[in-house]
Amino acid sequence: MLLELDGITVAFGGLVAVSNVSFTMAEGDVLGLVGPNGAGKTTLFNAVSGLVRPTQGRARLLGRDLIAMPIHARARAGIGRAFQVPQPLHELTVRENLIVASRFATGRIDNERIDEILDLLKLGHKAEAEASTALALTEQKALEVAKALATNPKLLMLDEVLAGLETAGKRAFMHTLDAVRARYGLALLIIEHDIETITRLCQRVIVLNFGKLIAEGTPEHVFNDSEVIRSYTGGEAA
Amino acid sequence: MIDLIAQSLFSGLLSGAYYALIALGLALVFGTMRVINLAHGELVLLGAYVSYTAEERLGLDPLASLPLALMVVIAANMVVYYLISLIKKDRELNSLILTFGIGVILTNAMLMIWSADIHSATTPWYHDAVILFDTLFAMQAELVFAGAGVVLVGAVWWWLEKTWYGRALRAVASNRDAAKLMGVDPRLTEILSFAVAGLLATVSGLALYTAKVIQPSLGHNLTVKAFIITVLAGIGSVPGVLLGAVLLGVVESLTVTIASSALQELAGMVLFLVVLLLMPSGLFGRAKRRG
Repeated sequence: MLLELDGITVAFGGLVAVSNVSFTMAEGDVLGLVGPNGAGKTTLFNAVSGLVRPTQGRARLLGRDLIAMPIHARARAGIGRAFQVPQPLHELTVRENLIVASRFATGRIDNERIDEILDLLKLGHKAEAEASTALALTEQKALEVAKALATNPKLLMLDEVLAGLETAGKRAFMHTLDAVRARYGLALLIIEHDIETITRLCQRVIVLNFGKLIAEGTPEHVFNDSEVIRSYTGGEAA
Repeated sequence: MIDLIAQSLFSGLLSGAYYALIALGLALVFGTMRVINLAHGELVLLGAYVSYTAEERLGLDPLASLPLALMVVIAANMVVYYLISLIKKDRELNSLILTFGIGVILTNAMLMIWSADIHSATTPWYHDAVILFDTLFAMQAELVFAGAGVVLVGAVWWWLEKTWYGRALRAVASNRDAAKLMGVDPRLTEILSFAVAGLLATVSGLALYTAKVIQPSLGHNLTVKAFIITVLAGIGSVPGVLLGAVLLGVVESLTVTIASSALQELAGMVLFLVVLLLMPSGLFGRAKRRG
């Protein structure tokens, strides 16, 4: 198994943000993580990438215990993460952002891979531009994914990277993600609100509500599940 | 009068290079860890006193005592780093109390070990006068350490801009979590910044001992000057530190010449307030940074 989560619970004081969540992902899997606002999706991402420490539970990447590792060690072990709000390193160019990721996550600067990533994410023409000031929204999102790719991840976690893009932009970005997957064969874990996007990208979906895993299966199966519909509409299933 | 003004501008420039050395150490640590090390001035003094002891007891030239002083000050700064890293909650704020306390302890330790007497280098070479362009006077030590100041500030700037560890340091300063997710180990960059700050503090200490005088209670004053310069510069700007330091040096020096040496410290504070009122993010600061 690539990723194994076993009974992950994250509590902030009395508030249980993620409650006893378990699932697994095989290499190359594309898994969607959906649920209403406040369901604990981003907290679960934080627990896997290391930004919060779970109160209980275990997480393994290729059999290695993730919870014991600090954030930078998880990045080196193969966890790549793109944020919902782009987080470029200021004062560095687009290319330098990727070089920092490549240098510190893999131990060497892989210029060939960096050029390839810039090309795949259509950032080649902005490679020497300052990352924090010179990019349009779509390009900032692309850089977010590119930075994560430069760490040479086995699992790429995308936290609503498509949010805020218009329909055409979303479609173009999905094609880009297809190309990335075709090239690197990595697994994707995707938080996304847009059901069309999830259905189009993911083979499998899990649904969180109030921190609990309430459904798991193919997109068609899950989005017809009455409990899932109730959690989204807050009322009775149609 | 023109000669006097020219001389005080020149002295101000020399002081500025030395102030830059002190301030850059403070700015570097603030940049990487968002921690203001209020014991930084005391570390400068510690370096100066190691050099004093080496000269007094072993007859070592102050410059020859540099390796020993470096070891002591960098080791002390590692202890400061270790103590700061133990703070898990509200580190930015709580470290102020911690480092202020470390400063008080260091001041009193130095008072116990070296007494409150005033000392300065006894090797005559450092105090020898150099006359430039027939009119400008300086001590050898002032010229040596002004040169060292410019070279070291340049070297740190180059290190931050051009090397990968320097870029990692800036990455951590720019966005700590994003840098960690890119595989950067923040502890490594923090330890590096404390080591380099220790190096800068040691060289400043030697400058203080050879070109000026040392006394255990001076540390606090040095920290305040370094803090003023860091804020004047705009947080995170290395060339800004050099220019802010020169500005402070020149303003102090002109105040002494034109008005009175009693107003020297006040002049720095007034400069600080005026710049902050007119340019709230400092002379070279960015309007907004994400942390």
